[in-house]
Amino acid sequence: MGIGLDLGSSTTKGVLVDKNGKIIAARLIPTGAIASKAAENVLEELTKLSQLDLGDVSTVSTGYGRTQVEFAHESITEITCHSVGVHSLNPGIKLLIDVGGQDSKVIRIGSKGRPTNFELNDKCSAGTGRFLEVMARVLEVSIDELGPLALKSKFPCLISSTCTVFAESEVIGRIGSGESPANIAAGVHQAMAAKISTLSRRVGVASPTAVTGGVARNPAFCHYLSAALNCDLWIPKEPQLTGALGAAILAIARASDTE
Amino acid sequence: MSEKAKEEKAYRVLESHGFLQRVVFRYMLEGHAASEEGKLAWVTSGFPVEIPVAMDVGVSYPEQYGAVIGSEKAGPKLCGYAEELGYSQELCSYARASIGSVKHPEESPLEGLPAPQALLACNNICGTVLRWYDAISQMTGAPVFLVDTPPLEGEQLPHHIAYVRHGLDDLVSFLSEQFGTTLEEDKLREVTDLATETIGVWTQCLEACKNKPSPLNCADRFLAMAPVVAIRGRDYTLEYYQMLLNEVKDRVTNGLGAIRDEKVRLLWDNIPPWFRVFRIMGSLAKRGVVFPADTYTHAWTGSFKDEDRMDSIASMYSNVYLNKGLEAKVDKMCGLIKDYDLDGFVMFSVRSCKRYSLGQLVSKELVSERTGVPGVVIEGDMVDSRLQNDAQIETRLDALLEMLL
Repeated sequence: MGIGLDLGSSTTKGVLVDKNGKIIAARLIPTGAIASKAAENVLEELTKLSQLDLGDVSTVSTGYGRTQVEFAHESITEITCHSVGVHSLNPGIKLLIDVGGQDSKVIRIGSKGRPTNFELNDKCSAGTGRFLEVMARVLEVSIDELGPLALKSKFPCLISSTCTVFAESEVIGRIGSGESPANIAAGVHQAMAAKISTLSRRVGVASPTAVTGGVARNPAFCHYLSAALNCDLWIPKEPQLTGALGAAILAIARASDTE
Repeated sequence: MSEKAKEEKAYRVLESHGFLQRVVFRYMLEGHAASEEGKLAWVTSGFPVEIPVAMDVGVSYPEQYGAVIGSEKAGPKLCGYAEELGYSQELCSYARASIGSVKHPEESPLEGLPAPQALLACNNICGTVLRWYDAISQMTGAPVFLVDTPPLEGEQLPHHIAYVRHGLDDLVSFLSEQFGTTLEEDKLREVTDLATETIGVWTQCLEACKNKPSPLNCADRFLAMAPVVAIRGRDYTLEYYQMLLNEVKDRVTNGLGAIRDEKVRLLWDNIPPWFRVFRIMGSLAKRGVVFPADTYTHAWTGSFKDEDRMDSIASMYSNVYLNKGLEAKVDKMCGLIKDYDLDGFVMFSVRSCKRYSLGQLVSKELVSERTGVPGVVIEGDMVDSRLQNDAQIETRLDALLEMLL
């Protein structure tokens, strides 16, 4: 067995797999203020779900809080873990776009499931889940409602700024000028898709392309990204878990290497 | 530190660093003495310094002092003072830190640079230096002189050299008038000969890093470069580099690397984050990562030819790394990767150094394409730690290493 823990900026994910990489248990909880505590909590949840003693199971941590997990045997970046996770689910994927709470990554996956090139967003949070959270708050909808709201728009308005703070002011300006929330929401998604499309072109768009991370659950983002890249996108059933899944698979590999 | 503790560190400390400290200390004292005599000029890092040195004018380097401010972690405070005066956070952090330290020397490392009587700028490294020195001029009353070196694309043509040469002649007139000195040809020849010899020894130290394991790491060179930038034309500078070269040769002969267990060899591009560079290099050294070459310390190479010395100075200072086009930068990086047999490269995108960082995204692709090795761009700043996010840098570096190890 192997355990993968992905300590993201918004959520912490845990996946337990058997020796063949099949998922036995998986869990997602908010990271909160203390990353190490979130790791312990998610491990406890995996123990409850699987009803197994996970004390000696090989564990790999990933995500921004990866070094905070004292009981993990190794920490590996989310760039490698997402590649391995997605490759295990769909070995044909050549390009992976992962949009999480704090950053967005575009990763070229090699034939063995390992990254061969990657780009991440710059320090600005534009183009990340945080960008959408801020916009949802301004538009007074929940983050889950934001995508469906945007898809109702027939005339997306133009949001020209790519900086979260400036874009927020721009959105407030649009509200003030009477623009409909649906058109504003659509403009927000278009702006974000354009930014990530630019990042993807730097790595080189290659089909088939997968999208993972919390933002992959947003139908409007995927719609506009697909249009911007001019290609179909493959989205796993649980797009937030691929990093933890990859970490769990790497944990099995690690255990067999040390045996 | 005990011998045993020294042995256990991932990083080998250079014995010659003790002498380097004394060299830099002496240079500082000379700067203060020159200032008190009313004969000190502040100069930019790519300024044709051999001319003021040959005319017996003391020099101090605000950019080098910026590195000291960065290392002392005083960047946010001193940059903040410049911002209080109305300067934008987008302005170069060397400029902001310098302006802040002139405003508040009592809160600056070493109580600030000695007061200048002239400000000598050369725009071969960037255009900001002129406006920065204008600001310092307003604060100190020292006049500004600009040596204009138009950017070069391809080979330097005779009219370009003639133009820069004309500026150098004007510089001599300016210094004569300002400091009441003259330029003797013999003296200029002596100073430039000494500079050429010093640069030659420094270049040998750099090139010794082609060996495996590399005898020097990036951080060693960032420290050791100080005299070749700032203290040219002095015999004690040459003495230091000969000592460094001997130590480097010893390491090569004995198979000793800058780090104990060299596994991955990388290229570093751009000025380092002075407030964090030793921590980054130290933690990478523990994982077997060494940087045998970088574009920054390799920028101070070349030699003065035995032609007309003023023409040679005009040519050398026009052809510095940052005064050339993107193609030349890509060629340089590809050349270093090949010559030093490097496995990958790290490009530090410095938020406040636009001239160095411009085009890095494009050059990353080109360098990877031509050399076949992967690279990564990390973002931050050389002095202003408020512009840096360590977690993002670590993730990018870790991901690059996972591709290599």
